[in-house]
Amino acid sequence: MKTEIVSSTKDRKGIGLDPRTKILLLLMIAVFVLGGAGGSALVWARVLLACVPVGLLFASGRVRTCVIFVSVFVAGCFLQYFLLNKLNGFLNFIVLASAGMLTQFLPGLVMGYYAVSTTTVSEFVAAMERMHVPDQVTIPLSVMFRFFPTVGEEAGNIRDAMSMRGIFFSGKHPGKTLEYCLIPLMTCSVKIGEELSAAALTRGLGAPVKRTNICKIGFGVWDISFFVICAAILAYWIVTMEGNVQI
Amino acid sequence: MIELRNVSFQYGEEDSAENRGALCNISLTIPRGQTVLLCGESGCGKTTITRLINGLVPHFYDGKLTGEVRINGQEIKDQPLYDTAENVGTVFQNPRSQFFNVDTRSELAFSLENRGMKAADIIERVHDTVEEYQMEYLMDRSIFELSGGEKQKIACGCVSAGSPDIFVLDEPSANLDMKSIAQLRTMIEKWKRQGKTIVIAEHRLFYIWELIDRAVYLKNGKIEKDMKPDVFRRLTENQLHDMGLRASTETKHNINHAAFLKSGEPLVFKEFVYGYQKKENVLDIREMLVPEKEITALTGNNGIGKTTFLRCVCGLEKKCKGTMEYEGKVYKRKKRLEEMFLVMQDVNHQLFTESVLEEVLISMKTEDQEKAEKILYDLDLLEYKDRHPISLSGGQKQRVAVATAIASERKILLFDEPTSGLDYHHMLQVAGVLKRLKNMGKTILVVTHDWEFIQAIDAHIMKLDEQTAERRVEINESEKFHTAIV
Repeated sequence: MKTEIVSSTKDRKGIGLDPRTKILLLLMIAVFVLGGAGGSALVWARVLLACVPVGLLFASGRVRTCVIFVSVFVAGCFLQYFLLNKLNGFLNFIVLASAGMLTQFLPGLVMGYYAVSTTTVSEFVAAMERMHVPDQVTIPLSVMFRFFPTVGEEAGNIRDAMSMRGIFFSGKHPGKTLEYCLIPLMTCSVKIGEELSAAALTRGLGAPVKRTNICKIGFGVWDISFFVICAAILAYWIVTMEGNVQI
Repeated sequence: MIELRNVSFQYGEEDSAENRGALCNISLTIPRGQTVLLCGESGCGKTTITRLINGLVPHFYDGKLTGEVRINGQEIKDQPLYDTAENVGTVFQNPRSQFFNVDTRSELAFSLENRGMKAADIIERVHDTVEEYQMEYLMDRSIFELSGGEKQKIACGCVSAGSPDIFVLDEPSANLDMKSIAQLRTMIEKWKRQGKTIVIAEHRLFYIWELIDRAVYLKNGKIEKDMKPDVFRRLTENQLHDMGLRASTETKHNINHAAFLKSGEPLVFKEFVYGYQKKENVLDIREMLVPEKEITALTGNNGIGKTTFLRCVCGLEKKCKGTMEYEGKVYKRKKRLEEMFLVMQDVNHQLFTESVLEEVLISMKTEDQEKAEKILYDLDLLEYKDRHPISLSGGQKQRVAVATAIASERKILLFDEPTSGLDYHHMLQVAGVLKRLKNMGKTILVVTHDWEFIQAIDAHIMKLDEQTAERRVEINESEKFHTAIV
């Protein structure tokens, strides 16, 4: 029944990456795998980047997630390259769309899952501070990490309450069910948001001094290697782009 | 030193009708090192006084404030909240919503980080706090995994780590069981020995009654009585009840009941086993008997599965395979979901519609306005039938939830801590509702830590126990005390 989004324990199993490296990798995957930047010249980079979350998940001991990811991804590729020519019409479109979505979105999603589930709130705040992101951005973001799981818990309770009352989407008033669900959720969210802010303020959040942070973040061997790989991909991208322009 | 001089406060906009929690010309001086109890019925303004001290009024909660509030000579109105935070630490009522981080260690460091203290010093301070309050077993864990008592312990630890001069506690025990309350008491004792000033707003008096140096009794936003120990310790239970206060001692009265199970058929619960993955079962009940058409109270310490048990009983936990046998029929999970109704601790989750009447109508198999109004009448809710459920008070919301259960013709009603955070009169009101349900022929199972309440509803008692190795239900006939062992 773990409802949290971000990690609560310092997960130093396997490769303990700096949050900033995770953000960089996430961006790279978004640009190249999801966005398809660089076209066919950068297929190798796409494959390489899609493998990154596999390795990271495996190293952090999330073997099950890793296996699921790999098999779904391989299945998507298989559909795209082998089945596509044999189908036509509407079915072709459906397969193309779903397989394309799968292979393009999945690596980014899994990387995002890895980044978020292995970073604690204070590590995130520390990383944002090192990057000189202003508090006005960092604090609301970090409160969201705290707020969503709490609202998730509330939503679970409301779902329970509804099933006990026999209110289902297939029930007597299907149209009204959504409204029934939202009313208590909104009441609870407002109350919790208010209480969370009040508690944080009485503990000195928002003081004009520079916040310290007790968690140690910093770059290690793995961080540097990932930076080198990313730099190489970017460099190659720029070179090929210039080549295109000249031609 | 805390000084309130001629303070009046009203929440919200001017001329608003809402008078709940308003204060009227309060003057109160609390010298350094004093432990003060603020008591009184719900809405008397005791929480507002705690908010004046920690600065949430007027900096967070808007309203009309007159008079002076000074802490160590400094006017709170002119001081930003983060400066007040260095001198005043607050423990709130709701353990679910007072944490900023997700992991416990960062949480202890949080207020120190906000002050910009050096990292090495923070780590040392956190380490000392953990050691002093024996919280090693809670470290580096997710806040979401902790029980209410454990969360409140972390909340106390957070305040201690900041080592303020003044500790403010706003109904800290509302969601705690006896064991956690004892731990809370130990914390407060330590602060008192360190010479801290402590202000506690509280309904439950028994655990702090011997600790406090002064009891301030509020009524309708005014200080009605300001009592020294020799005065308030002499108050009898009846006098306290007349003031709307709870008992000052932990009343474990001898509860005498007519012989258990003599009348009618019992409900037999079988094989209620439930556990989270890989861990030991939190719940392991092989067989348990509950008398029909009676009130049965389920007690025990936090975190040993009482709430989980209720969820399993009414069929919300899909993984729990237990069955209930009653009147020759076997009820599996889905069937139980139709026959039972759980009134949750936070009833806000259970009210969905725009009016009280509609809430009752949608619960009925065939909508019948007349019958719905009869149900509302029986629960003193008829005059509110067109109100939005959210605009009602806590007790009224609870009764609306009960009304929906009656409307859907459930035979068995379950209650999860229906009296947490209630004053004496409101507790009696809930007890009245339960007794009325019993008279209607409903079977009632209620999870509670509240001994005064158990006495008021004259319930059978069943104790969920974690220490005993034997895993079966014991019925101790001599004491009429039934123990279901988990």
